[in-house]
Order: sequence, then structure tokens, then C-alpha cells
Amino acid sequence: MAPTVPSAAKSASPSQPSGKSEVADLKQQLRQLAGSRASDADDQRRDVFKRVISCMTAGIDVSAAFGEMVLCSATSDVVTKKMCYLYVGAHARAHPDLALLTINFLQRDCRDQDPTIRGLALRSLCSLRVPNLVEYLVTPLTTGLKDPSAYVRMIAAVGAAKLYHISATACIDADLPASLKALMLSDPDAQVVANCLHSLQEIWTLEAANSEAAAREIETLYSKPVVFYLLNKIKEFSEWAQCLVLELASKFLPSDNNEIFDIMNLLEDRLQHANGAVVLSTIKVFLHLTMSMTDVHQQVYERIKAPLLTLVGAGSPEQSYAVLCHLHLLVMRAPMLFSSDYKSFYCQFSDPSYVKKLKLEMLTAIANESNTYEIVTELCEYAGNVDVPIARESIRAVGKIALQQYDVNAIVDRLLQFLEMDKDYVTAETLVLVKDLLRKYPQWSHDCIAVVGNISSKNIQEPKGKAALIWMLGEYSQDMHDAPYVLESLVENWDEEHSPEVRLHLLTAVMKCFFKRPPETQKALGATLAAGLSDTHQDVHDRALFYYRLLQYDPAVAERVVNPPKQAVSVFADTQSSEMKDRIFDEFNSLSVVYQKPSYMFTDKEHRGPFEYSEDLTNLAVGTEAQENVISAQRYQENDNDLLLSTSDKEDDGTRASNGSATSTYNAPSDLIGSSLISSQTPAETSLINTGGPTYSSQSNFSLDDLLGLGVTETPAPPPPPALTLNSKPVLDPGTFQRKWGQLALALTQECSLSPQGAASLMNPQSLIRHMQSNYIQCIASGGQPPNYKFFFYAQKDGATAFFLVECIVNTASAKAQLKIKADDGAAAEAFSTLFQSALSKFGLS
Amino acid sequence: MAGAVSALFLLDIKGRVLVWRDYRGDVSALQAERFFTKLLDKEGDAEVHSPVVYDDAGVTYMFIQHNNVFILTAARQNCNAASILLFLHRVVDVFKHYFEELEEESLRDNFVVVYELLDEMMDFGYPQYTEAKILSEFIKTDAYRMEVSQRPPMAVTNAVSWRSEGIRYKKNEVFLDVVESVNILVNSNGQIVRSDVVGALKMRTYLSGMPECKLGLNDRVLLEAQGRATKGKAIDLDDIKFHQCVRLARFENDRTISFIPPDGSFDLMTYRLSTQVKPLIWVEAQIEKHSRSRIELMVKARSQFKERSTATNVEIEVPVPSDATNPNIRTSMGSAAYAPERDAMVWKVKSFPGGKEYMCRAEFSLPSITAEEGAPEKKAPIRVKFEIPYFTVSGIQVRYLKIIEKSGYQALPWVRYITMAGEYELRLI
Repeated sequence: MAPTVPSAAKSASPSQPSGKSEVADLKQQLRQLAGSRASDADDQRRDVFKRVISCMTAGIDVSAAFGEMVLCSATSDVVTKKMCYLYVGAHARAHPDLALLTINFLQRDCRDQDPTIRGLALRSLCSLRVPNLVEYLVTPLTTGLKDPSAYVRMIAAVGAAKLYHISATACIDADLPASLKALMLSDPDAQVVANCLHSLQEIWTLEAANSEAAAREIETLYSKPVVFYLLNKIKEFSEWAQCLVLELASKFLPSDNNEIFDIMNLLEDRLQHANGAVVLSTIKVFLHLTMSMTDVHQQVYERIKAPLLTLVGAGSPEQSYAVLCHLHLLVMRAPMLFSSDYKSFYCQFSDPSYVKKLKLEMLTAIANESNTYEIVTELCEYAGNVDVPIARESIRAVGKIALQQYDVNAIVDRLLQFLEMDKDYVTAETLVLVKDLLRKYPQWSHDCIAVVGNISSKNIQEPKGKAALIWMLGEYSQDMHDAPYVLESLVENWDEEHSPEVRLHLLTAVMKCFFKRPPETQKALGATLAAGLSDTHQDVHDRALFYYRLLQYDPAVAERVVNPPKQAVSVFADTQSSEMKDRIFDEFNSLSVVYQKPSYMFTDKEHRGPFEYSEDLTNLAVGTEAQENVISAQRYQENDNDLLLSTSDKEDDGTRASNGSATSTYNAPSDLIGSSLISSQTPAETSLINTGGPTYSSQSNFSLDDLLGLGVTETPAPPPPPALTLNSKPVLDPGTFQRKWGQLALALTQECSLSPQGAASLMNPQSLIRHMQSNYIQCIASGGQPPNYKFFFYAQKDGATAFFLVECIVNTASAKAQLKIKADDGAAAEAFSTLFQSALSKFGLS
Repeated sequence: MAGAVSALFLLDIKGRVLVWRDYRGDVSALQAERFFTKLLDKEGDAEVHSPVVYDDAGVTYMFIQHNNVFILTAARQNCNAASILLFLHRVVDVFKHYFEELEEESLRDNFVVVYELLDEMMDFGYPQYTEAKILSEFIKTDAYRMEVSQRPPMAVTNAVSWRSEGIRYKKNEVFLDVVESVNILVNSNGQIVRSDVVGALKMRTYLSGMPECKLGLNDRVLLEAQGRATKGKAIDLDDIKFHQCVRLARFENDRTISFIPPDGSFDLMTYRLSTQVKPLIWVEAQIEKHSRSRIELMVKARSQFKERSTATNVEIEVPVPSDATNPNIRTSMGSAAYAPERDAMVWKVKSFPGGKEYMCRAEFSLPSITAEEGAPEKKAPIRVKFEIPYFTVSGIQVRYLKIIEKSGYQALPWVRYITMAGEYELRLI
């Protein structure tokens, strides 16, 4: 509760006077006032206090006056008291010894007859954050929770959580959680109830890590009696507390459909609430409750559409931003949902850029056959009409839509019109898109080439655009009659070309051109190789050398490497796994949606909420390395306009390939090999060469890991013996598990049931983990909250290397478990599944 | 955790901390200041930046700007972003209520009250009470006039959190304004690409005690429920939202809007109408550029509503090149002037009756030499502002507004209608 940390503020504004003399002066005045009984003493005190606080705010160190301030604290004036509390709160942490001085008067104020003073004193007392004063805190808190004034109870409820953060044991020993819970279910004041809930969630979540009892308590928070009790009172809560209760309700697992409908009927009117945060929270409840009922889930989408669209249009740009982030997530799950409302996402001139950007993303996401024409028309207006970054974004958006659609006829025309606009950045962006389009739709090459051929390379300054143009010159040199000469003139200006990316493209393009039109290009080729060999950039140099030696070795081979037959690209990379998307959806209405990543990626462990899975699991879901890649890939997508993954000449390919998602069927690997042989920046790239295979299927990815020495063994196991026995001590590290899970196809999906005793005894993940271990099935990660748990198990066949991987989601309320089994040896999966289920069904019976 | 924020900062325009309140002790003001000033430096304009930023050290900053002040929260937890951003706006409202206007000066002058307010609006990072009316009973602006004995206001502890008991007025009055803003977007081919109407019922209540209010509207759904004919005047509103004081269950059942109003002004209800509307004021502009030396504008504005209505304070902003000089402007009605700070010509017509057409011609000189590598210009649309009193696009009507209080006083309800331009953009140039 420190309003300013003096040192921080001071160093931030070094020009501030140190105020030493002023502090001394204030001290003097305070000392005089301390004993004064003059009639105007209160007014004077208030005046001096105000000056102290103003010095403090300005960053002057006033801690020297601590003693005097405490002396003067005996006053009945509330404002003076407030200032005094403020002062004490700011300095107690830095001066724990002095803080002891304040305890006395704070404790006395906690017993004041005025509830306002009781409340304020209690709040200050709890906010001192000095560990050795904890003993003085417990009694005022316990009495505070029973105070006749709701104001004091409300402060005491939050105070309990503050105490927990200072000293967990003190809080638990005083049995405060139990009092909070009792208060939550009985207090007539809504804010007291809400604050109890806040505190209980915090305390039990943190406590659950080392106590099973706390884990059970969390479960009771999400139980029917508590949730229904709070929901029935929902109208009494403030808007912010309503969000809290709704968040709780979204975690509730109804036992039957009637409960679902009861809740939805009860909350229907919340969708009309003026506060957008309440509306979003309600939407979360509806979506999560109806997950299992496909029809109703769809109806929910229909129902929430209108409120969401209003929120986008009305209110502050910040709110539009938050809502648009959520809409984007929803559209990913239900693309048809907003396809007829595309006009709501047209940009206004006055929208801030961050809103415009999200709107463009929405327009891209909802484009389909019926609305493409209008959306693209609108996007084309932005290309010439608004500020440059948004114009670029909208050109990219047009490109993305073109790559999604089957009928790209009209779009290609538009793109070509962009080229005629004769604006540098428009041309550059468009060239990159045309290049990508050509790779997907080679049938358009004639139309495009005709236009592209007219563009003078001298007018393009941006490396990306220039590289794209050069790529096209090389690729379609037989159709562009002056290609060799354009390339030649570019080579002449080799030294003026600053971007290594462009130089790399130029090398390859000249090579390609040479094999198509040898007599015209021969001279240019010589010049290029010479320039390349003397280039200072390592990659350029290496690639030139590679081409040179390749030509020396055998021109026919060189041609096969540089100009292989090409197939159109059909698959695009999805930067996010569906698991990741589900995880984000679980965290609907939080920062996860804004950042488009699950919360474990941006919060520290101790700040994670009660709803996330455990640390192990998060490591598992995305191994650290992969995690990096996903983020970079996302960033990449934002920053870059190259939409296709295995762009042969891109330097980022190495990292992408190791991401394991580079499974596109682009069949022109020789270029890639060429570049990686030379540049070989990452181990992954080197290994690509070693595999040498022309297709990067998941199979080759697999061996890729192998070659990287990551210890994955993929020797197919022999057909399984009828009875499957498991290795009693299999070893698998989380990283390998993660990779395998990503690579292996799903062998089996099954639902099975637990024994009722088993379900009842599953209070925390550990019990089941131990049980499964005794059956030679190891757990690699677990997490979740009652009644839903999620486990990842693995087992190894005895005497073989093949692993079985299981994702097991247990719902203790319904005593059901959902299994997803993946196996190195698919044939044995069935037998393993039987084994696993029998082990699971015995849980709780022993 | 439901996402508590760690601290709330009030920063000046350069990103320096004016006042801050540390709620959880896990972020540092210095770091926040350093991060935020860097952010401002980088972009020059915070507008470009999204209101949610991550600093790579596990701290999320969410901020809004108001005048020359940034209101910023720092959080280490996975917060409810929408709710926090909205909360910040509410904080601004509260400060505005206290200091008339929220700006650096008013914060510096009132830092004691600012601290008090920050304490009551949020505790341990959880939002608490944010109704200015309630807080102002609790925390007085003028410390010297404060009564010695203070008790927490009833509203903090009773079920009607938005209204305190014991309010007294000599004259009991209610003002209800039906305000509709028309958003329209016309593309460069003159097609209307998007149009909608956002309406709000704004109330100002000066009522004693705990009055029960009942409002009747000509909502189609309402009339159907009562079995009356629905042709003609009835309307259908999309997505209605109410102030928290309205008993929503009652509205769901029998479509009555009944409520105990907060004291003072508030938005009782907002709604949206997505049906296509004809642009109330249509503007056409022709621009001729003559060989880089001068530019000629001809702007035609036509009112497309009934003659009995009149638009007032019409303001048409036509973009002109930023290097234009020597304006020469003639209008058939109203006055027009060059507004170089907005790179536009602003044409104002005080009173614009329905079914009329006015003209404005203008000529500007352009410099004959232009920068070769000039930044590509940002082409703005024509923007229009207007107000049409006694008129609503939706045709919404207040049938009755009943006020019942147990003391039985007579209250006077005043109802006004007005339609105005919202985001009214014509990309005609």
C-alpha cells in the first residue's frame, strides 16, 4: 500500500530538491503540535500532514519524520488519520523497526467506535507487509470479520488474503479461511461476500500446492451449493463482483442438462448488462457450460452475437480492442458465425491503429465465398486511403484472403491494380503477395507476369519486395523476355545492394535463369558468382561457392538442384496447435486471449491462477524450445508477409523446420538443401541435408529428431505378443514426450468409467498417479481442478523400445475418463488400452 | 486467481509517475516508469500502441489516456482484460466527478483525495466501489468542510448500491434525453457500406427518497406482448442494454422497465439499430487539382429528412492537402473556414432545414515545389457533424414515465429527443 517508494520516485526525478531542510522544518512543527491542546491544533496538524504527504508524493524522503508522525497520530479527525495511515503504509516496509511504533495506535483505532476508522485502520494494518508484526494482525482480523459494520467486514475479508501473503501459517493457524467461508455463505452484504470469495480463491489456490485439504476446499467452491447460492444473489453484486461470480460459474460442472438450462435462464439478462466485462463473463459461462451440447452451443453463438457486436462498436476504443480479441478467438472456432456481419468490422477513420489491425484480422478470418468480394473491395480502399502501416496490413489481408479462397480470380486482378498505384510500399507488399500466390496458383502466372514484367526493379526499395521480384524473374525467366538483362543490371549494382536477402535471391535467380536461357545469361552468371564469392556476408559467400562447385561438378546435377519440377503449394502453416487454442479458450475473458497464448507463457509460476494446469504439464504441452518457436512464429507472421512456410530461400527455415510443423508438401527441396548446405546455421538445417529426402513428411521430421541426437527411437516394434507386459521402469523425459505426442497419430480414443470409490478418492492427482505407477504406467504431467483432472501417462513395452502415450481426462463428478492413446507401435495400442483401462478401473478399490 | 492487479499508476504525458498506489507490492514504480517512457518514446504516439502491453518480465501493463494523464495498471496475474480496461475508464469518471476535469494539474492539486479514492476503488488489486455518487458521500473534496463524525454511507452496505437513502430535493424533477447517434460509412463509389444507429436514454434525476420509476416505450416486442397492433410506429431494437438499476427479470417477463434510479445523471438504456438508414445529410465533393498550383473544391450538401425537422450545428469537414494556402471560400449558406491544424476546410451551417441543398466552393493555392520523398499522405474522409432535435431515426417514443415514492410527491418528467451524427464518414475523395 505504499503510495510512493521514495527512493524510486527520487531517482526517477533527480532534479527534485532533496528537501532536507523542509523535512527538518516539518519535524519541528510536528513535535510542537504533538502535545498541543490548542483549539486549532487539529487544523494545523492537518495542514502539516498534508505538506508531509505532498513531499512524499514529490519523491522526497520524509521517513525521518516517522517518529513525529506517530506521535501526532492521536487525533479524531478522519482526514488526518487517513494521511497518517498513508504515510505509515509507505514507510513501514522500509523501516520495520519503526513500524512497530505504529502498531499501538493502529490497534487502538481498530477498536474505535466509528466504523470508518475501524475499517481504515484495519486496512492499513494489513497493508504494512512487515513479517515480524504478524502476531498483531490476527486478532484485529478475526474481530474485523465479525464486525457489525459491513464496511469493516469487507476490508477484513481482503485483509485475510493480505495476511496469507505475509505469513501463510499465521493465516491458516488462525483458521481464517474457515471464517471467510462461513461469512461468504451468510453475510447479507454483497461486497463482503465478493471479497471473501476473492480471498478464498487466492488462499486455497496457493495452499493447494502443499495440502490436499486445500485442494478439496477449492473443489467445494465450484460445487453446486456455493455456485447456485452466489448466482441467485448475482443482482446484488457490484459489476466487478458479478464478473468474479460469473468466472466461478464458468468453472462449474453441471451434473445434468437441467442445471445447465437453469443457469442459462438465470443469467440470460446479464447479456444485456451495460458493463461489457459482465457481458463477456456471461458469454464465457454460456460457452463453457454448453461445450458438451453441440446444438445448444451453436445457439449460444447466435445469441451472443448481437451483444458482442454492440460492444465492438460502442464504448471506448480500449473496450473494442478487448472485445475484438475475443471475437477473433470465437471466429476461429465458429468461422460462419460473423460472416454476414462483416460490415461491423470495417475500419473507421478515427479508430486507433490497434483496433484497425484487429478489425483487419477479423475481416481476413471471416472472408468466405459469399462476402469476399465486398471485403476485398473495402480492403482495397484502405490500401490507398489510410495510414501506411494499416495500408500494408490491408494489402497483406487481401493476400491472405486470396490464399484461403478457391476463386481468386477477382482478387488477383485487384492485386495487379495495386501494382499500378505506384506507391513504393504498396508495390513492395503486393509483389510479395503475388509471389506467394504464384506458388499456390501457378495457373495465374501468365497474367501476373505480364504486369510484373513492367515493374522496374529500380523503383522498389524494400528488400522484401525486391527479393520477391527477383524470385519471379528467376522462376519465370522463360516468360519474361528481358529477364536476363534485368538480372544482369541488378548484378552490376551488386555492391549497392545492402540486403543479404536480396543478394541471396539474386544468386539463385541468376542460376535459374542460366539453365533456362544459357546463352543470354552466361555473362551475368559469371559476374554473379564472382561477386558472390567476394561477398562479405557469410551466407551469400557460401551459397555462391556451393553453386560454383556444383556447376564445376556437373551442370546437369546443378540444374536438377536449382530447377527441379515444382508442385503448387497447398498447405499453409498453422502457427498454433489446436491444443493451444483450446487452452486459450479455457482462459476466455483474460489476458490469454489478448496475447493469444496460454497464461503459463506470460505469468510467473506463483502468479498463476487456480485454473491452469501444473508446471509439469505446461512444460509438457510445449517444450521450452517449441514454445520459443511458437511465439516467434506468431511474431513472424505479424511482421512478415511471407505466408508460406517452406519458402525455399528464407533463412528462418531452420527454426521453422525444427518446430515440427513444416510438413508442407512443397516438393522443391533442392533449393532449400542448397541454401542450407551453405548457410547451415542451425543443427536442424544440417540434419535436413543428411536426410536428403525430397519430402518433408512427419516421418522425416521424426528421423530429423533422431539425427539431432534427441534420443527418439522409432524402430518399429515387432507385432505384439498376445499378452502385453510393460517395462517396470520406463524412462522418458518430458521433452521427448512432448515431441512424440506431437508427432504420433492418434491410435485410439476411448471413454471408460472409474469405480465410484475411485472417483470419490480422486481429490488430487497424486493418488491416481501412485496407483498407475504400481501398474507400471508412469505419469509425466498432471493438473486440473476438481472435478476435472488431466493426466499424461506413458508406458513402455517390456523388452522393446516402443512407448505408449496416454492423455487421460478424468471427471470425478461423472466418474468418467476420456483416453487418447498414441503409440509408437500402433498395433499394440489396443492391447495397451485394455491394460490401461483395467488398471484405471481398479483405482480406489484396493 | 481472478486476476488482481498489482498497482495503479497515474502518469503524466511523458510517462512519469504522478501518483501511484501499490496494492500488492510485487511491481516497482521505477520499472513501470522506465518501461512506459520507453514505450512512449518508441512510438511517439501512444495511439499506435495497443492498450495492453507486456514487458517480458512477467508484467502486463494496461492503460488508457485521458487528457494529459495516463492511467495505467501493472499486473503479474492473468487478469480479465476487458474488466480492467473498463475499470480504468470508471476511475476516470470518478476523478472527473471530483475534480471537474482529470488532468495533471487537478491530480497535483488534490493528491490527498486521489490517494483516498484509489484506496476505496480498489483493495489488494480487486475493484471495489466505483460509483462516484457513493464515493463522494464517503470522501469529501474539501477536507476542511468535512464533518467530524463520519460513517460509511448506507449505500456501501445496503442492497441498492447505486443510491443512498435520505436524498432530499425541494423540486422533484426527472430529465430524460433520447439521444441517437447515426454511424455511417460511405465508400469512394458513393455506396453506403455500413450504417447503424446507437441510441441511449440518458437520465438526470433530482428525486427525493427511494423513488420507483416505470418507463414505457413503443418497443414492438412490448406492444406485441400486450396484444396491441404493431403496424406503423412500433420499432424493433437490437441488443438492448440497461443500467444496473433496471430490474432485468421484470423486463424479460413483461417488458416493463422498472428501476430505482441513481441520483444525478446516468445512461438508463442503450440500444442499437442495424437496419440501413438513409444518410440524413448527404455530401458530395468535387476536387480539381490544377497543375500543382491550385486546388478547387466544390462541395454540395443535401438534407434528406422531412421538412418539418431542422438540423442544427451542421459541420462538414472536407480534407484538403496539408500544404494548401490562400483559401478563397464562398458558401450559399453558413460559413466556411480553412482549419490548417486539421488539414481540412470546415463548413458550418447553424440551421439546415430538411429537403434543402447548399453549396460551398473553395480554392486553395498549392506550393509549386513539393518534397520529392514526402511521406505518403493519409487520406481522410469527409466527416459530418450535426444534431437534429425532436427527431429520432428509430422512431422510439417514450409513452410514459411514472415516478412513485412512498411520500407521494409529484415529480415532473421532461423528455427530449435528439439525433446526432456519430461516426459519419464519407470517403468521397
